[in-house]
Amino acid sequence: MLKNKRKLLAGPYLFWAASFIIIPLLMIVYYGLTDKEGGFTLLNLAKITEPENLKALGLAVLLSFVSTVICLLLAYPLAMILSRRNVNQTSFVVLIFILPMWMNFLLRTLAWQNLLEKTGVINSVLKFFHLPGWEIINTPGAIILGMVYNFLPFMVLPIYNVLAKIDKDVISAARDLGAGNMQTFMKIILPLSVPGIISGITMVFVPALTTFVISDLLGGSKILLIGNVIEQEFKQGSNWNVGSGLSLVLMIFIIASMALIAKYDKEGEGTAF
Amino acid sequence: MKKILQNIYLTLIIIFLYAPIATLVVLSFNDSKTRSKWGGFTGKWYISLFKDDAIMNALYTTLIIALLSALIATVIGTAASLGIQAMHRRYRTFMMGVTNIPMLNADIVTGISLMLLFVACRFTMGFSTILMAHITFNIPYVILSVMPKLRQTNKHTYEAAMDLGASPVYAFFKVVFPDILPGVLSGFLLAFTMSLDDFVITHFTKGPGVDTLSTKIYSEVRKGIRPEMYALSTIMFVSVLLLLILINMNPSGKGHDKARAEKTMSNRRRFGRVLMTRVVPAVLTIVVIAGGFFYASRTNISGKEQVVVYNWGEYLDPQVIKMFEEETGISVVYEEYETNEIMYPKIQSGAIAYDVVCPSDYMIQRMIENDLLAEINWDNIPNIKNMDETYMKQSQQFDPGNKYSVPYCWGTVGILYNKTMVDEPIDSWSVLWDEKYKDNILMQDSVRDAFAVALKYLGYSLNSTDLDELNEARNLLIEQKPLVQAYVVDQVRDKMIGNEAAIGVIYSGEAIYTQWENPDLEYVIPKEGSNVWIDSWVIPKNAPNKENAEKFINFVCRPDIALMNFEFITYSTPNKAARALIEDPDIRNSEIAFPSSEQLADCETFRFLGDKNDAVYNELWREVKSK
Repeated sequence: MLKNKRKLLAGPYLFWAASFIIIPLLMIVYYGLTDKEGGFTLLNLAKITEPENLKALGLAVLLSFVSTVICLLLAYPLAMILSRRNVNQTSFVVLIFILPMWMNFLLRTLAWQNLLEKTGVINSVLKFFHLPGWEIINTPGAIILGMVYNFLPFMVLPIYNVLAKIDKDVISAARDLGAGNMQTFMKIILPLSVPGIISGITMVFVPALTTFVISDLLGGSKILLIGNVIEQEFKQGSNWNVGSGLSLVLMIFIIASMALIAKYDKEGEGTAF
Repeated sequence: MKKILQNIYLTLIIIFLYAPIATLVVLSFNDSKTRSKWGGFTGKWYISLFKDDAIMNALYTTLIIALLSALIATVIGTAASLGIQAMHRRYRTFMMGVTNIPMLNADIVTGISLMLLFVACRFTMGFSTILMAHITFNIPYVILSVMPKLRQTNKHTYEAAMDLGASPVYAFFKVVFPDILPGVLSGFLLAFTMSLDDFVITHFTKGPGVDTLSTKIYSEVRKGIRPEMYALSTIMFVSVLLLLILINMNPSGKGHDKARAEKTMSNRRRFGRVLMTRVVPAVLTIVVIAGGFFYASRTNISGKEQVVVYNWGEYLDPQVIKMFEEETGISVVYEEYETNEIMYPKIQSGAIAYDVVCPSDYMIQRMIENDLLAEINWDNIPNIKNMDETYMKQSQQFDPGNKYSVPYCWGTVGILYNKTMVDEPIDSWSVLWDEKYKDNILMQDSVRDAFAVALKYLGYSLNSTDLDELNEARNLLIEQKPLVQAYVVDQVRDKMIGNEAAIGVIYSGEAIYTQWENPDLEYVIPKEGSNVWIDSWVIPKNAPNKENAEKFINFVCRPDIALMNFEFITYSTPNKAARALIEDPDIRNSEIAFPSSEQLADCETFRFLGDKNDAVYNELWREVKSK
């Protein structure tokens, strides 16, 4: 009886989620599967097979994959170091990674232009020491850097959270039973941190895959990613049907990541915050 | 040793995370308006920031949306967590799945899906749509931070409280709520931060006249960010940083007794908690509400006459708007766009009613052909007498009979080059295909401008619809791509001033400004000919305040106003009375601002080529861009 009443508390959210999450997604499905006159068509989905779009998608997958790997490699040791520090500092650690978000995301990305440009800060320093310049701006490398920079916190925080939750006694037990550092890591720590890793991977990969701002600002508009193509369809080409069709294709990746989370992180341990 | 390595690693990551922030802080003290040049130390942006209504308005909108959306999301989200917790496992999994959608879904898809919903429901895009969108993506953050805390609470204490006679609500607030409070708070804070930082979703759900800091910045990216933005970000960042340091201050000194250290620590933490739970929200609320009243009283006074102006970015002296408002009592709602192609669908869809728009020649023709414009009542625009007849005649090319448009600015497209970085005198488009300048060329990032360059170089008309000619132009552009450093629109200006490139394709109006900032730069109209363009004021058919629109147009045609404007935006004015008022003879007779008719001999004006040909251009351009 009481439990039933408590369930009602989810009512407003259920209503909200239905109107602002589910219905909008259905709208995309509708637009994606119809043409301008409203007739059913699969042509919008087929647009993805055009060589330019396929290339944009392929490049987006490649760049976001590389960024995700780099993020993981950077974040895991970082999360391990942080999780072994003073436990009381948890909120501080989290805030160090959230703090940059108080400066606008666009401005931060734009600041990278200043740092990376041919006459930018980094190259001026290199030149001062008579070192060869670093020509990275307007290349895929700069886009990867921008992705790693923007999404690193989303990899660090979930891994940090699962690592901090690991019971110290489990590790002590492993050591008592004669496991070395490597063995403890491989057999205890790594498996226990899988939910965090999975959550981190999805939270980096998906936004990186679909970004259009980072590629615009750091790629000099020379490199077209799938996010740029979709944005142009909506905002410039004003062909909403094709844009929705391409968004539908992107959703495949989102569904895949949801499936991953459902499999490895059933209890929501690996949440970022 | 291990510790040192760890510390080095931590330091490197922190440097990586905070280097751009340091850069922005430094830029906020830069005396030069351009990002790429250091003009000496100044604090003036911090002062002019508070006088800038547009930025302060955006800040206010941003804060109030962040605060409201975070509050509402916290209430709905916390209630939802309690409900979900009580659900059967299967439903719980489903609900958590739904909750994960906005988190995992690409921002762009979330933004677009909400936009489609709002358009379908015929909501007017504006403040409320942004708010709804932000609440939508904020709720999951709250749920995901409350759920873990809820899972840790002990069910039995709650039941015990009930057994002892507490009502469910009382028991909840006395027993459960204190336990989940940290989760609720961090959810709120997170939601607030996410709302503050969001760009993509706001970009798709916003309407005219409403800007958050993000969308304001995005519209400025192409023109160069105004330094006040850096100053504002620095203030916001520093205040949050100070707050955090206050809360997390470590017991200082190593020689301290550990117990004492812990005691001060807990005192500090208690202080911090009070600060977090009471002081911070209170201060935030006061600031936002006070700021809201302050800026609301200064700007949109409801019930007053208004005019909605939709103009290119940085294409009107803000002082002009203020003077117009003071003289006529009509308040101006001002909105900016970056390209004709972005503006057109907004007008066409009719979802948003603008009163005055400033498109270019070929776009005006397209709007006339699609019956989107209202005829101008010339009786209401006596100041048209100040206009040079030449431009009225030129306007006939796209507006036969001068029925719909009033010329505002005109100019050419040409090559801007850095005299210290090129060896030979430049007079031809061919330099854009010269291997010598690989990675030193800036090309225009818009279809028609890019193709105009290639078509003119090939000796064809820039209004060509001949497929062979267009394919030839496409191949030429593809051939050029490896040499191009970046495709940009208005960023050419900053990049050329900062010596980032040797050669750039640029609008003549920007050329004068770049020369002021960097005397090494020179502008030339290539001998093969180029594009000569006119941007004119027009009134859309669905304009709700047509007479105010005409008053506005008449106002900007006044010689003193046109002059003020010319000095601010440096784009050539077709207003002959205003030109006569220019004091500096070098500028009044400048060949860049006012080229002679010989120089313009081979120049053409863009014409609208029909939707089909437009699609062909777009398709070919995409092929170039994705090569």
